[in-house]
Amino acid sequence: MPFGTSEPESAAMTLQALLTTLLITAATACHAALDAQRILEASDAVRNPGRPFSVTVALTEFQAGKRVDASTMVTYTRTLTQDAQFATLVRFTSPARDAGKLMLKNGQDLWFYDPSTKASVRLSPQQRLLGQASNGDVVTVNLARDYKASLLAEEEIQDGDRKTRRTYKLELTAAVDDATYGRIELWVGADNNWPLKGRFFADSGRLLKTVFYRRFAVEMGTERPTELVIIDGINPASVTLMRLSEYTARNIPVGWFQRDYLPRFQPE
Amino acid sequence: MLTLHRSQVLLASLALAASFSVLAADPDISALDLKPELAEKSAAPGRKLFVEGAVGRADQRYGLGSRTISRASVDFRDSGRLSPSIQATLSARVDATDPDDPRIDGAVLSLREAFIGWQDETASYLAELGRVNLRDGPGYGYNPTDFFRDQALRTLTTVNPFTLRENRMGTVMLRAQRLWPDASLSVVLAPKLESRRSSAGFNADFGATNARSRASVALSNRWSEKVNTQFLVYKEDSASVRFGGSLTALVSQAAVLHAEGAWGREPDLLSRALGLAAPATSRSRLAAGLTYTTESKLSITAEVQYNGFALGRDQWLAQVQPNPLVQAAYYLKSQDLQDNAGRQSWLLYAVQRDLGVKGLDLTALVKVNRNDHSRMLWLDLRHRFDQVDLALQLLRNTGVGGSEFGVIPIRDSVGLVATFYF
Repeated sequence: MPFGTSEPESAAMTLQALLTTLLITAATACHAALDAQRILEASDAVRNPGRPFSVTVALTEFQAGKRVDASTMVTYTRTLTQDAQFATLVRFTSPARDAGKLMLKNGQDLWFYDPSTKASVRLSPQQRLLGQASNGDVVTVNLARDYKASLLAEEEIQDGDRKTRRTYKLELTAAVDDATYGRIELWVGADNNWPLKGRFFADSGRLLKTVFYRRFAVEMGTERPTELVIIDGINPASVTLMRLSEYTARNIPVGWFQRDYLPRFQPE
Repeated sequence: MLTLHRSQVLLASLALAASFSVLAADPDISALDLKPELAEKSAAPGRKLFVEGAVGRADQRYGLGSRTISRASVDFRDSGRLSPSIQATLSARVDATDPDDPRIDGAVLSLREAFIGWQDETASYLAELGRVNLRDGPGYGYNPTDFFRDQALRTLTTVNPFTLRENRMGTVMLRAQRLWPDASLSVVLAPKLESRRSSAGFNADFGATNARSRASVALSNRWSEKVNTQFLVYKEDSASVRFGGSLTALVSQAAVLHAEGAWGREPDLLSRALGLAAPATSRSRLAAGLTYTTESKLSITAEVQYNGFALGRDQWLAQVQPNPLVQAAYYLKSQDLQDNAGRQSWLLYAVQRDLGVKGLDLTALVKVNRNDHSRMLWLDLRHRFDQVDLALQLLRNTGVGGSEFGVIPIRDSVGLVATFYF
């Protein structure tokens, strides 16, 4: 009987030690999870101004390094509910063929409106992915609302501006049924919470796209990414560059974000 | 020693070269060298102008042989704010076709919209005055709740229901709307302005759209992110009240359901076509469909359509098929009212985006009249360039003599369409 302790006492101490260890482990895990979620929230705040705004989005699409398409749109964004979900109205401005067309996204309430036909057509999320506007969600999406974050590692990566950055690598798993992606890997700047790189996966585990956030500049009072490099997950030779400019705080009425307003929308 | 040194250097060089080649081959890294284009600035964000030319060859029925067909169109639309709360819209189109429309002299102007709009700064109260192209109903090929659709087309330039809507004229009306975050209530008053349609090419043709006084009330609701409904009440001079309802629903991440129906008391379509004083009876019109989109950018819509005022098979066999004059009157009336000639029809509409090549789209449309078993097939293979669309279009109308699609003079046609955007 070493150390003069009885067997029951020893068992109790072992159990106590085990419980303490478990508690510490659980607390540490809990703390890490909390931190990861806070990092994600801070990263969201870098991308998303905290008030209604508009931004001009220019998309240039490349195939094997060759430009194959370009389009420009203005997005009007605000939150409508307490749960901080963004609603977005996209107005296409170029090419001329698409000028004036609108796309409304309010959660899964998706509509496409063409002023030529006066038709408002409800879209499925899958249908929306056919168009370039689908890339808009890598800008104005509140990831902390839809995903649960965990800290995978601290890593040094090369960011979109080819600078080496120390980052937190987060793993985001869908926390709501209507989350667009099954899983996301997100690299966030360790010193400034900048979102630097993301890998977006489907429910099946297939890589849908890799996104680099770069050219950070002061817009609406905070340094935000003004350019995104979006690389197709299946065909990496398919690359879309997204340039964000003219961030403008706006008074955007709630009424803009419903189907019956679309035929009445007038650009400034 | 020296040899060892050289091999070390060689190995190091090889390792370095390999790492560089891996780096160069990494598409994620090479993508970072790409430069974006600057956003295009538009001086008039609400303006759209395009010119379209089409030429083709048609194989005709009735021993008319084949002939060349052609069309030239100019399409203009502009809308903008005159002040923060006042907006103006002007939208028009001119079509010159060969063969031309015998009912109208020369090129045909379609003044689609010309109105002034007002809305308060919270977009809660809105009003419009002028010719407004009001369109209701989620149906793809048939819209029973679209009460302002009849006589809205001056001329037909395509069979694609979506493109047809681009030619459609609005109705002169006063429209007021109240918007809430999840609902909308609108009231429309459209006065009678003229009694007769115009045969002049360059004419606003208020006799087509405002030949009688009309009024409607529409209430729309968003019940959830996945379900929307609309209920309508419509009344026009010397006719009973009509009621309508529609629904759209997201049924999965890839599928959308739509349905609409209208109910009212009217004379049947054949009586209206022949100008007979038939009693009004209560019947309904319905359309319901499902749109499914695949990951490979294929979107397919299947729609069933029902028109209780159109002829069933037995009536068609007895009253329409034997008489060419009745055929002409019946089908022209259904075309004029944008109403289905068959009591039961179905539609298949499919769009394949980026068919093997970026910017190449294929659209296919099949419409079948289930009562006379005639059918129409339309294909559009289109390449979208920056400022130009080039399309190859094929049309085939099949059916026995006197049927909806068997009566149309053009049996087959093939054409090239070029659209230039400015």
